[in-house]
Amino acid sequence: MSLSEKMAIAAHLHVLLRRKTGRVTDTEWMATNPAYAQEVIRLAREKSAEGDHDELGVLADRLEHAMAWADRPVPRPLAQRVSEAAKEHNARVLAVGAAAALESGGDSAFGESQMGPDGTPRRDAARYIKGLR
Amino acid sequence: MHAIRWMVLSLCLWMGVGLASPQAHAQTPAGAAPTALMAAPVALTRPGRVGTGTINGADTAWMMTSTALVLLMTLPGIALFYGGMVRRKSVLNVMACVVAICAIVSLLWFALGYSIAFTPGSGLLGHFMGGPERLWFGGLDYARDAQQVAVSHIAPNIPESVYSMFQLSFAIITAALVVGSFVERMRFSATLIFIAMWTVVVYAPIAHWVWEPNGWLARLGALDFAGGSVVHINAGVAGLVCAYALGPRKGYGREPFSPFNLGLTMAGAGLLWVGWFGFNAGSAVAADGRAGLAMAVTHIAASAGALSWMAAEWLARGRPSLLGLCSGLVAGLVAITPAAGYVSPGSAVIFGLVAGVACYWGATGLKRLLNADDSLDVFGVHGIGGIVGSLLTGIFASKTISGVEGSVLIQFVGVACVMIYSLVMTSLLLWITSRFVSLRVSEVAESDGLDIDQHAERLGS
Repeated sequence: MSLSEKMAIAAHLHVLLRRKTGRVTDTEWMATNPAYAQEVIRLAREKSAEGDHDELGVLADRLEHAMAWADRPVPRPLAQRVSEAAKEHNARVLAVGAAAALESGGDSAFGESQMGPDGTPRRDAARYIKGLR
Repeated sequence: MHAIRWMVLSLCLWMGVGLASPQAHAQTPAGAAPTALMAAPVALTRPGRVGTGTINGADTAWMMTSTALVLLMTLPGIALFYGGMVRRKSVLNVMACVVAICAIVSLLWFALGYSIAFTPGSGLLGHFMGGPERLWFGGLDYARDAQQVAVSHIAPNIPESVYSMFQLSFAIITAALVVGSFVERMRFSATLIFIAMWTVVVYAPIAHWVWEPNGWLARLGALDFAGGSVVHINAGVAGLVCAYALGPRKGYGREPFSPFNLGLTMAGAGLLWVGWFGFNAGSAVAADGRAGLAMAVTHIAASAGALSWMAAEWLARGRPSLLGLCSGLVAGLVAITPAAGYVSPGSAVIFGLVAGVACYWGATGLKRLLNADDSLDVFGVHGIGGIVGSLLTGIFASKTISGVEGSVLIQFVGVACVMIYSLVMTSLLLWITSRFVSLRVSEVAESDGLDIDQHAERLGS
């Protein structure tokens, strides 16, 4: 079940609890935090039994059922997935390169210092290692 | 050093003998009686003389312009393009290599190369190399009183002096491209010796195979309008061989080799883009509709190549770069080169898009796989771009435009044979060169930079 579906049930329960019992809850926290959701479910059932609010009990059951399922991932466009994968790969490659460059010594004997003026590694320090492009 | 002096003196002596020999003067083709004027050009099968009235002035003017454009691609196009990409300490050496190569290839072209490439030769050997009709600065005649001018049988509408100059500009840029693979470490004298031999032994024969009607690849039906295989695949493979033979630069793979000035590279790329109009449209050897179409598809492919490389790099690295844009446009230009006179503008977009991505991979992923320090990615851009373009030509060549149909199989045969020949002969020539001089400078020289070590010069402070 997706997060948005859980949020919808939590929001409905929030509205009912406030209308019937005056109790204010945190909708987003209810949909994402199992412990908080359990407490709200317990409260909703208690108030349902006390005040004969059947709909509170129904919603409490639905929320309990929803929280039993892990969040279904939100589908992302293919281009976004490819781009994120490429960036992660590139970041790993650059990190390895930068680490290797720093291990070989901060200043290159071939003219270019890999450290910036503030002593931190230059952003392009790893870019021209083993290739210009 | 003594070996170098001996070789230079020998070269001058032989060229002087060639200039003074009777063969340096014009020859009338056997069986053709010289006449003052010919009403219509005889169907030539080898270079010969025709009446000046048969020359097309518009075509001649365009071809002279194209020659200048292509030479501008080398001087200063390639000099700036490459010079901006190397480290500061070797910029002048790269430029000196380009200038020297222009000079040495020019003289060798008229002495040997043009005859090997663009005369039909005879017998079976004629399918692989030309004959002696144009050796030692021969031909290229203009006889005012007789009103005759020499023409090539390949381009009878323009003077042979113009045609040979146009082809010379191709020979020059091909040799200059190879330099990009071994910058920052190859000895200047070794560069000159190697390139001199390479032009005569590798470039000229391949040009003969592809562009001389009697060449075996031309007879097979391989399509290469302006030099996808002759120039780019040839230079790319030769560059890769040089990179392997010389070994990587000191610090390669561990230290960043930051380019000196990418602004120079961009200026060079601009000259390449504009000059390529002469490269491709000039290969129509006429100022006509086909040349116009070649010009248009060249521009379209360059644009598509620039954008597709940019997109690939943006996706992979998170940011587009100026070097990527410049490299992508060159990739598109390389790919469209064999196809410029055969394909439609719509197909040119595909050439550019595919080449941009393929050459980006060639300069990054493939480069890591090959594990060679091809310094400026000559194989990655020119080799891969030429291969892609040559094969795509087999798919997209239009009979409506060119009168010929493409065949992927024949294109593959052409590509493979050029690659094999270039690989084997470049290796051999490097070995021969190494017998005379050391290919690589010393470690100290490499650390100091080739500007100081090879030329006793440095960029301004």
